[in-house]
Amino acid sequence: MANRTYEVMYIINPETDAEKIEKLNEAVGKLIEKEGGEIVRMDDIGIRNLAYPIEKKETGHYVLFEINGTGQEIAELERRMRVNDMVMRYMTVRVDEDRKKASAIKAKRDARNEKRATRATTVKVEEAEAVDAQ
Amino acid sequence: MEVLNDRDGFGVGEDVIGDRPRRYQRRRPRQMVPDYIDWKDIEYLGQFVPERGKIMPRRISGISAKDQRRISTAIKRARSMAMLPFVAD
Repeated sequence: MANRTYEVMYIINPETDAEKIEKLNEAVGKLIEKEGGEIVRMDDIGIRNLAYPIEKKETGHYVLFEINGTGQEIAELERRMRVNDMVMRYMTVRVDEDRKKASAIKAKRDARNEKRATRATTVKVEEAEAVDAQ
Repeated sequence: MEVLNDRDGFGVGEDVIGDRPRRYQRRRPRQMVPDYIDWKDIEYLGQFVPERGKIMPRRISGISAKDQRRISTAIKRARSMAMLPFVAD
């Protein structure tokens, strides 16, 4: 089964009661677990200024989830968010592929740097030996 | 050759050679871009978004084509979540 990592972010209407927001977040968490996903991280960022007005509001309550799953829970989650009036905007980004790529690049670079470092030291050692021989 | 209009010190300007002004530019040195660009990191992305809200062209920022693509998708993602403006005035 494909295991993927997603970041789900949504913006809630800032006029919503804190209680309701908490309830919604809890419901989201429960839904993910029910559909077979695993919550890696949950971050209630809180009220932030929007770069442009959404639904005539200048601020929004941001919530971020990081989920390990198959994609099934994302489909269900997005369906629910679409009909929920509290959610002003939502977005899901699949991050596992980009992260894998990034770590591959890093591994490659580290390997190269190491090679370079060992080469530099061997050259130094050889030079030192040459000096000693003199 | 004389630099007539070196606006931001990036070595961008115009020369008049013959009858037509010819544009030229010196590249900014290669910029280091992190391996993983987080679309939520607006502090980092903001560096590629001048006041007007547009994405900075590669010829000015001096990053590689690959990195430019990654950065522009990250900026677009941040825009759709209202973390960066589409247009700022």
